[in-house]
Amino acid sequence: MTLSASLNGAEQRRPSRLGRMLEDRLPYLIVAPAILILLLVGLFPLIYSLIVSFQRITMTENDTTFVGLLNYAELFRDTRLWASLGHTAIITAIALPLELLIGFLMAQLFIDRMPGRQIFLALLVLPTVISPIVAGATWRLMFDVRFGPIGQILSFIAGEPVRILWTVNPAYVYPAIIICEVWQWSPFMFLLLLAALSNVDPSQLEAAEIDGASYLRVLRAIVLPAIAPVIAVACLIRGLDLVRIFDIIWTLTEGGPGSMTETISLYTYVQGFSQFETSYTAAISFLVIALLTVITTLVLKRMELAR
Amino acid sequence: MADVKLSGVHKYYGNVHAVRGVDLTITDGEFAVLVGPSGCGKSTLLRTIAGLEDPDSGAIAIGGAVVNDLRPRERNIAMVFQNYALYPYLTVNENIAFGLRARKTPEIEIRKRVSEAAEMLGIGNLLQRYPRQLSGGQRQRVAIGRAIVRKADLFLFDEPLSNLDAQLRDEMRAEIKRLHHEITTTMIYVTHDQIEAMTLADRIVLLRDGKIEQQGAPLELFEQPRTGFVAGFLGSPSINLIPATLKTDGPVAAVVFQSGGELKLPSAKAMSLAGAQGREILVGIRPQHFSRAGGGPLRNGVVSYSAVADLIQPTGTRTFTTIKIGGVDAVAELQAHDVRSHGERIDLAIDLNRVVLIDPVSGVVIA
Amino acid sequence: MRVSKLPARKARILALRYLGAGVVTLLFLFPVYWLFMISFKTPDEIYHVPPLWIPGQIQFSNYYVLFKDGDVLAILNSLIVASVSSGIAIVLGTLCAYSLARFGTGGENLAMWIISQRMIPPIAVVFPIFLIYVYFGLVDSYFGLILLYTAFNLPYVIWMMRGYIVDVPLELEESALVDGLNRWEVIWKVVFPMVRPGLMATSVFTFAFAWNDFLFALVLTRTEVITFPVMLTHYFGGQSNFWAKIAAMSVLGTLPIFVAVSVMQRYLVRGISLGAVKG
Repeated sequence: MTLSASLNGAEQRRPSRLGRMLEDRLPYLIVAPAILILLLVGLFPLIYSLIVSFQRITMTENDTTFVGLLNYAELFRDTRLWASLGHTAIITAIALPLELLIGFLMAQLFIDRMPGRQIFLALLVLPTVISPIVAGATWRLMFDVRFGPIGQILSFIAGEPVRILWTVNPAYVYPAIIICEVWQWSPFMFLLLLAALSNVDPSQLEAAEIDGASYLRVLRAIVLPAIAPVIAVACLIRGLDLVRIFDIIWTLTEGGPGSMTETISLYTYVQGFSQFETSYTAAISFLVIALLTVITTLVLKRMELAR
Repeated sequence: MADVKLSGVHKYYGNVHAVRGVDLTITDGEFAVLVGPSGCGKSTLLRTIAGLEDPDSGAIAIGGAVVNDLRPRERNIAMVFQNYALYPYLTVNENIAFGLRARKTPEIEIRKRVSEAAEMLGIGNLLQRYPRQLSGGQRQRVAIGRAIVRKADLFLFDEPLSNLDAQLRDEMRAEIKRLHHEITTTMIYVTHDQIEAMTLADRIVLLRDGKIEQQGAPLELFEQPRTGFVAGFLGSPSINLIPATLKTDGPVAAVVFQSGGELKLPSAKAMSLAGAQGREILVGIRPQHFSRAGGGPLRNGVVSYSAVADLIQPTGTRTFTTIKIGGVDAVAELQAHDVRSHGERIDLAIDLNRVVLIDPVSGVVIA
Repeated sequence: MRVSKLPARKARILALRYLGAGVVTLLFLFPVYWLFMISFKTPDEIYHVPPLWIPGQIQFSNYYVLFKDGDVLAILNSLIVASVSSGIAIVLGTLCAYSLARFGTGGENLAMWIISQRMIPPIAVVFPIFLIYVYFGLVDSYFGLILLYTAFNLPYVIWMMRGYIVDVPLELEESALVDGLNRWEVIWKVVFPMVRPGLMATSVFTFAFAWNDFLFALVLTRTEVITFPVMLTHYFGGQSNFWAKIAAMSVLGTLPIFVAVSVMQRYLVRGISLGAVKG
């Protein structure tokens, strides 16, 4: 009796045919919307761009005949393009190690617990979370030759008036960009490295201390290997960001003086939206994608090896 | 309440053949324990009954109806998981009521059943707490409470006690047994712990490599194992297996150890061994079948054996003593003060009426 | 002797660490302080030589001007675009992540493709997207910008939420299935509550991405849905810069992010490291 009653109960709970179908297909149904959007906004423009890069579309002409690799051949003759890649490389090569080093030193400073540590951390996060445009604007205020505090401080230290046009003078534009960049992103490195350092097995450190290992030895033998994967991820994320640096330069120097601080992102923007070299811009885009793919793959390979 | 019938159940995980043709009938109200070493397919079998895994072939019937095509929720079963599977964001009360709410049970009924179950399990004062505020044993009770309130046809337990410490495990084991007496629902219980299996089960189903090795009442498996595996799996410390050769002469039979020395088998055993002269065997003697020889006459089938005590492990009530027999180490379970020191020579009595003789190649018990 | 020496040495080290912490914090916060301070200065104080480090009084006229001229509409636009797009990305992305985590839909390849979408530099796609948007008339529309930010946040959401969902014990879901829920209900009643911290943390980052983005907004907006970073760059002129507006707008544009991040600080590390560090 109880048996048949419960089976009836089970039957009542049985969902409709439609409900059952929706449940059977659930793994695909819930993937579909996201993938659709990604294809639409992610992949479709790339394909479109690929096609355009083989054509000859400019501001004045809508020439859709296929010209093969003409645009790509053009890339190799474009000195301004290679210069912009050089600028990007310079900024990345200087800013990334600096951020890593400063971030590591900050992490060392804050690794041990002390009262008020959380407040320091909350404050130090601030530069990283603000919009890069705001960061650029802030440093433009700071660097201003007449109304900014940097010149004032330098004058005070030097004991005589120091007048540096940070965002215009060719000798100082790169330091200006890198100072701003390092200011904004060292805290990012700091946060990641701090977390990584706190995850280092304390018993290993204690064992090393009992063994009488020196600080440098502990660092090299225990700490660095333990945090190496995090360093790799952090460098990958920041490296990719630095290669596409745009906002800070836009607000600080706008690529100037001349095109001295023009990065690859800025140059692509100029080609696309000032010169309206549609096809050529598409070709540059693919150069950038190819470059980043190579870098990413290399870094990921290194990370695999490190594991 | 319902009976459970499995026929020809197979389950593959990729290339791994986890369940290899299981036929099993569990009668209404029975407490069945699936037991076996890890990887024997016991959990997979349970999950297949629950509907969490689909069998690759074979039929599963609950209460006479084939349920292969039914979802877990449509099978009217309740399940208790190893890690309790309590929802950390719900109170104890809401955790227990969760299944009832899912089935749109009226609120009054929910409240009644939850308080009944809470009382039965002695957790009435914990209803407003969250799982993280409970001890391991209390969490286990909540998990069981969640199953009880469902008034399901079938209870499934997936190693529910393995995350508890030893003392709590004993306590909860008794609790679960008492529970089964009170609600008499069919229960299927998975464990790798042979003591749990022995103490809880009406019927033990011993699995090995995805197949049923032997099933039956606990003592039946313990006393009449069909294979060396069963004999070795049940019992603690486990059975001693000593390689030997059979010597038969008409109605008389004896085992001859490879290191020399022989033990005469009782006539009941010897009868079935006619013509097995010279056969290689493993002699299975449980530690409990050793005792200190008292000096008086020996019962029929009990033989005396003199040995030197090697390792001595007192447990308080009994003392496990390692001795050499037939050239291998064997454990004898003696009275607490039967043996005092390492190296002491002791006279033992071995009850050969309950010895098992195993074919070393096939693993089958031959007598 | 030694007993009294040791605490003294420890105290000295602690004092040194506080000194270091103070100096570092001062260095990193000074620019932020300068920004805030300018936003409270009068024009005379802003254009004072030498620069004044403390405003004569706290006054809000710079903010008042932003409200009066309607410049704060840019903040409102940012708010709408960022919250709607991250809301959609969170819902769709989490569902997708559930399928990837629990059913292995699409295998490892789909997961890798999705995260590789995250690596695509915006500059490489912004131009074709612009052309397509012109074609479909989506430039300078809420819909266009929201769609774009949703798409750019989806890989991040999927990647992060997949990590959080994998951490949910499978038995919780199985228990719910046995107890009578269907898959949809399991997602809604078991998985979502279990990953709520992850959902909140991830939303902060998706919101911040849309909020802080400049390039897409620059290219795809004209007048109607200008977001605050674009508005900010309008204040930079060839000769004279509108310092007061820049500072006030920057502060307004920084506050929401700062509040959100402060609340979510616990999850920050896992979020910014793409899940590599579980902080």
